[in-house]
Amino acid sequence: MNEETRELEEKAKKLFSEERKEDIWVLIISAITVILALTGIITKKTFVSLFF
Amino acid sequence: MSATSQGGLLKYIPGLILCMILGWLALQWDHSIKGWQKDYKECQKILKANAKGEPPFGFDEYKAKREERYKGQLALYKQGVAKGAPKKPYILEKDVYESLVTTKEIPFKLKFGEKMIQFQLTYVAVLLLGGMLIRNTVGIPDLFKPGTVLARPIIKPGIVLLGGYYVWSNLFKVGLVALLLVIVFIFGTVVLVSVLGKKLKLDKGLIGVMAAGTGVCGVSAAVATAPIVKAKPTDFFYAVGTILLFGTAALFTFPYIGKALGMSEPVFGAWVGTSILNTAQLVAAASWYGHDALLTANIINIVRVGFIPVVVLYCIWFYLIKGASAEEPRKKMNTWQVVVDKFPIFILGFFAMVTLNEFGVFTKEHQYIFGKQFLKIFFAIGFAGVGLNIAFEDLKKAGGKAFVIGVSAALFKAVLSAIVVMLIGTEVFFVKGR
Repeated sequence: MNEETRELEEKAKKLFSEERKEDIWVLIISAITVILALTGIITKKTFVSLFF
Repeated sequence: MSATSQGGLLKYIPGLILCMILGWLALQWDHSIKGWQKDYKECQKILKANAKGEPPFGFDEYKAKREERYKGQLALYKQGVAKGAPKKPYILEKDVYESLVTTKEIPFKLKFGEKMIQFQLTYVAVLLLGGMLIRNTVGIPDLFKPGTVLARPIIKPGIVLLGGYYVWSNLFKVGLVALLLVIVFIFGTVVLVSVLGKKLKLDKGLIGVMAAGTGVCGVSAAVATAPIVKAKPTDFFYAVGTILLFGTAALFTFPYIGKALGMSEPVFGAWVGTSILNTAQLVAAASWYGHDALLTANIINIVRVGFIPVVVLYCIWFYLIKGASAEEPRKKMNTWQVVVDKFPIFILGFFAMVTLNEFGVFTKEHQYIFGKQFLKIFFAIGFAGVGLNIAFEDLKKAGGKAFVIGVSAALFKAVLSAIVVMLIGTEVFFVKGR
């Protein structure tokens, strides 16, 4: 395998590893939002109260 | 946590805060113009009624009459005489109403709100256009750059939460058509790129990157396939530049083309779902068009990004196994490992939301909070990141023969998919939630 291909492979590996971490954070944030809504901590009024 | 990783996390904070502030400003703008537009419509109704001979009432009488009419409609609905539940009446603020009755003129602010909505200048457009303008005029200091890049995937929790709107039966109905479209257009693009590539006498590496990039999922697919097809770095950067350039052009033009062609929201969603290659750009274009467009585009996007491991597997098979020369030892492919490594797992969150909705866990209020409110918060932060990262110098990297092939294939796919989705029609792509 030449140097250029190795560099691209490293780049691909890095990207997919970062995307995997990103996806785990996405799942955590989504789960927190769902729990807050189901327990009634955030309601329809929460969003509206953020604006004038 | 080590000092290095702390420093690593800290570098994202300024940019993230910037995106949150811009996102809030844009949502405030959106909130205001939508409110003004509602006022404008109510003012029009009042002026129309007055023109027909209804006397201008005092504010209290106007309010009482609206509420009385609503109660009447609600009673008819409860008796089963009227079909749909009536909407709560929209009542103007006292000062707006009194100004209207006195002057018989709709205030400028309300007309302005109506015009902004007509031109689709909602929070999506403000963030994308504004972000792009800031990045390419005054620029953003290096301090903010890492955080603005990190802000882009904040769109994804919005996509997951949107799952709370779907039920499996509907997901299957639209998803099956989406699957067919995705397969037809992926293979169609791969064939087209291969034919064009051979005609232009390009090397296999570049053809492979462009086929994956323009066929499936833009930059991610191009990055995944580049080492497999042994693409040269210059060709790879040309390919990525071309994919980004087409996506940016599509993002800003497709909503207007869709309106000009009279596309319904679900049809537009299906169109951008098949023809725009980048998740953030696709979600932005669909949100710009409307909520139903987003619901349809989201399904197609989920199906499409689920294809990344399939395309990577295909490339491994085509270039490393089938394409291995007699002297080279044939490599074994660990299919399961490739799927596990490349599968975008946030899709599982989306499916979990659909399942919870199927079991009736979410009420209408929950769906509204997820799909119309918090989705906007996540999207606004993400779109700020997208806008601030549209740098003209990156788009200039598009070039060479990759540009000719990429743009030809992407344009061909866009035109053909527009025709196909318009022929299939709204009914098939319409997402009916629970």
